[in-house]
Amino acid sequence: MERRDLHRLAVPLAVVGGIVALAAAAPLLPLADPVHIEVSARLTPPSEGHWLGQDEYGRDVLSRAIWGARASLAVSFLAAAIAGIAGTALGLLGGYFRGVVEILTVRSAEAVLCFPPLLLALLVVTLLGPGAGTLIVALSILYAPSYARVAYAETLAARNLDYVVAQEALGARSGRILLRTVLPNVAPPLLVQFSLTVASAMVLESGLSFLGLGVVPPEPSWGLMIRGARSTMDQAPWLLLWPCLALTGTIVALNMLCDALRDVLDPRGRTVSANPFRAFVSGLLPATEPAPAPPALLRVDGLHLAIGHGPGALPAVRDVSLAVAPGETLAVVGESGSGKTLTGLAILGLLPPVVRVTGGRILYTGRDGTTVDLARLGEPALRRLRGDELSMVFQDPSASLNPVHRVGDQVAETIRAHRDLSAAEARRRAVALLDRVGLPDAARRARAYPHELSGGQRQRAVIAAAIANGPRLLIADEPTTALDVTIQAQILELMAGLKAQAGGMGLIFVTHNLAVVSEIADRVVVMYVGEVVEEGPVAEVFGSPRHPYTAALVASVPEGDDDRLSAIPGVVPPLHDLPAGCRFAPRCGLAEPACTAGAPALESLGGGRSTRCRRWREVA
Amino acid sequence: MTSAADSCRTPLVEAEGVSRAFRARQGLLGRRRDILAVREVDLTVARREAVGVVGESGCGKSTLGRLLLHLLKPTAGTVRFDGRTLAEIGGDRLRTLRRRMQLIFQDPYGSLDPRRTVGDQIADGMLIHGLATPAEARERVAGLLSQVGLDPAHAARLPHEFSGGQRQRVAIARALATGPDFVVADEPVSALDVSIQAQVVNLLADLRESLGLALVFISHDLHVVRHLCDRVAVMYLGRVVETGPAAAIFAAPAHPYTRALLAATPSLVRRRDSSRAPLAGELPSPSDPPSGCGFRTRCPFATTACAEAVPPLEAFGGDGRQVACVRVAEIG
Ligand SMILES: Nc1ncnc2c1ncn2[C@@H]1O[C@H](COP(=O)(O)OP(=O)(O)O)[C@@H](O)[C@H]1O
Ligand code: SF4
Ligand code: SF4
Ligand SMILES: [Mg+2]
Repeated sequence: MERRDLHRLAVPLAVVGGIVALAAAAPLLPLADPVHIEVSARLTPPSEGHWLGQDEYGRDVLSRAIWGARASLAVSFLAAAIAGIAGTALGLLGGYFRGVVEILTVRSAEAVLCFPPLLLALLVVTLLGPGAGTLIVALSILYAPSYARVAYAETLAARNLDYVVAQEALGARSGRILLRTVLPNVAPPLLVQFSLTVASAMVLESGLSFLGLGVVPPEPSWGLMIRGARSTMDQAPWLLLWPCLALTGTIVALNMLCDALRDVLDPRGRTVSANPFRAFVSGLLPATEPAPAPPALLRVDGLHLAIGHGPGALPAVRDVSLAVAPGETLAVVGESGSGKTLTGLAILGLLPPVVRVTGGRILYTGRDGTTVDLARLGEPALRRLRGDELSMVFQDPSASLNPVHRVGDQVAETIRAHRDLSAAEARRRAVALLDRVGLPDAARRARAYPHELSGGQRQRAVIAAAIANGPRLLIADEPTTALDVTIQAQILELMAGLKAQAGGMGLIFVTHNLAVVSEIADRVVVMYVGEVVEEGPVAEVFGSPRHPYTAALVASVPEGDDDRLSAIPGVVPPLHDLPAGCRFAPRCGLAEPACTAGAPALESLGGGRSTRCRRWREVA
Repeated sequence: MTSAADSCRTPLVEAEGVSRAFRARQGLLGRRRDILAVREVDLTVARREAVGVVGESGCGKSTLGRLLLHLLKPTAGTVRFDGRTLAEIGGDRLRTLRRRMQLIFQDPYGSLDPRRTVGDQIADGMLIHGLATPAEARERVAGLLSQVGLDPAHAARLPHEFSGGQRQRVAIARALATGPDFVVADEPVSALDVSIQAQVVNLLADLRESLGLALVFISHDLHVVRHLCDRVAVMYLGRVVETGPAAAIFAAPAHPYTRALLAATPSLVRRRDSSRAPLAGELPSPSDPPSGCGFRTRCPFATTACAEAVPPLEAFGGDGRQVACVRVAEIG
């Protein structure tokens, strides 16, 4: 466990620990006898001898609150813990083994939930007689099934995870798999369950004690104190305050502790937090550079994007420039983490809150002929453009469709968001669009929900929505990566066909697949850790690369006849640890000392080609 | 006991007519249907042989891989490992046998326990099978890490501190820790970037060579399979539709599905031929497969004869190839 984790745990741990220690130390503290009755001092307000006052029998409230904590905490913690252990065991076994074991464990535990809680408690009391011990047994039985359910559901999900199957494949025994692999991974929701159970056990304890089923008066417990104070609420309202404060305070501290524990137990740590205000302000800042010639469709100039803010901000995209002409298909290719997707999202103003534009321009010339800088356009203006002149298709079609609406309605909605049409007319157009993107039996499928379509059909529906308003620029981010090759071929053909029909639509196709690029694009931009390293017409760039990274990527495509694939050594450097000078130098076969001394600039080679390599002439 | 010569001649892994059905319910109240994920598959893997299993998602590749390791029980047919029928050996003896057969997964993020150090996870197999004391295991973990090209000092790190390609190396190290002679790799490079994919494919090829592993390499990418495998089995809708030497199938695919699969795979060197229409339609539901040839709903050569009976896998072309298509001889 790291220091920062201890830091997070310190406060809630100290509070809960303090409460428990206070209760445990009750016999050692100089407290008044909690059951000593002094009827003459009934309901006296706080005084020097009795800091919190005296109750309806004149007993010292402070003493009763601390002694009462013993009963309340012991009952609720023990009950929650016993229920937790038993319920978790049942849930783990049931979820892991399924079948008969599931019936014997989870299902029979759930049968308990059918009994009214009070009836169940009465039953236990009749068998065991009243007292704190009985209360613990009754509450444990009552709460175990909910743990069993949570553990069961989590185990079901976990048992098919690859790393659990991996343990099985290693030949590990079931017990070892359950304890070492499944349990730690299902623990976080169970911890939350624990804090909820303790809280609700404290509340139930008071109810059951009142019925004479739990802690027996005159022994103190917070529950009994609340009960007692209720009847004298008019004369002595503070008597209600103390036990309630103690109860809520303990529950809040406990919730905080469980939350902190859950976060600390998550090995992935916490994410950078955004500063929306800074992002907002930087969006308002005017461009300082002189206005350059407007592009025919889109030109990105020296775009910089940063993740997070302050000194820890990561420069995810640096000095990216690219242009798309009307009717052109530009592929943006690069490995994961190269900044392809962020660049695409920046164009549509859809950057996630942690990412902001720290420099550069995104000039777009609209249908009406005016040129705007999309990087500085306000959200309302962007929203008018999005889905109309500019649109986007994402990698995962199911994430782009709303699961509770019919696909036809979703396409129709996109049309009506930008066009003043009747619902019927929009729906008619939606069906025509679905037919155009090759959804078989479009009129019927328009009424289908997304889950009723296959992945390929969903992607067709998403494309239908994207082209619904005849966009001038379509950005497709890995639209075929999640699909099978035969379906990918269908979608690529569809996109090529749509572009041919909708003369003038520009397409930015983001992908990591070089072969797909060569099938669909006119020009290609190759990106590496947030920078453009090479640009030019596809056939030329792939045929005779002018950057060692492009050359290595092309060589690593498994199409040649050699037995060994050609691999790029090393790994993509992380953004927080970029190499000095040329970012590719540590993996580059041509690297020389000058390469690490200074970062090479993007150099134009003529013929629409450019490269960011000082030794491009030597690239084979 | 079988003699050494015998055990060389028997294949290491032998699947005979294995099928696997899954129970599934359609909708909340819908009736139960059986999904036939794998149907009557015969497959043998010789010692030191690499066999590729290719096909699109849902065709049953992963299910077949798990059947070969007896991580799933077949609903029909048998799987033999080193001459022993896996379904007949139970409990402890099967667990002991697991030392010799391992699985590598597709998703390098999901296949490692996020809460335990990679060193501990690599050591698991050795400790489970009592192959090493904890101290010895630690030493062997360092050796395995450098064998797969990672820094031995990284044993104490958690999985999230590694990149996808590095995690896949960790997963490979874990699979190799028990000294297996049979490994099923289920799309081990599909989630990786091309440059990293090449590193991992090369690593697998080297390890297979140096350790003499028998390998079943599952992939949807024929190109990758060709680099690694001697033999290929192409699956469609739970059945093997074509099998034979990798080079021969790649050079001249015979089954209409294999042809379509190769044609649909985008290529850097050959630009898309616009006259060649992509395969229409989608994979039929495995709970309701078409009668006769499973491919007939999408096959450009389908005739009425194709609907009548399931075409059996039959020898074709004399290069050790088998094809399940009634018209394979005609369509040339
Ligand atoms: N545990 C399971 N329960 C129900 N259906 C399954 C299960 N595992 C696989 N299937 C189904 O079996 C078929 C084959 O799946 P799979 O072997 O994973 O194919 P592949 O690996 O080729 O993508 C698919 O239709 C899949 O949905
Ligand atoms: S600048 Fe130097 S290190 Fe960078 S790609 Fe070119 S040759 Fe390699
Ligand atoms: S049997 Fe008929 S449908 Fe099946 S692949 Fe051959 S020609 Fe096509
Ligand atoms: Mg699979």
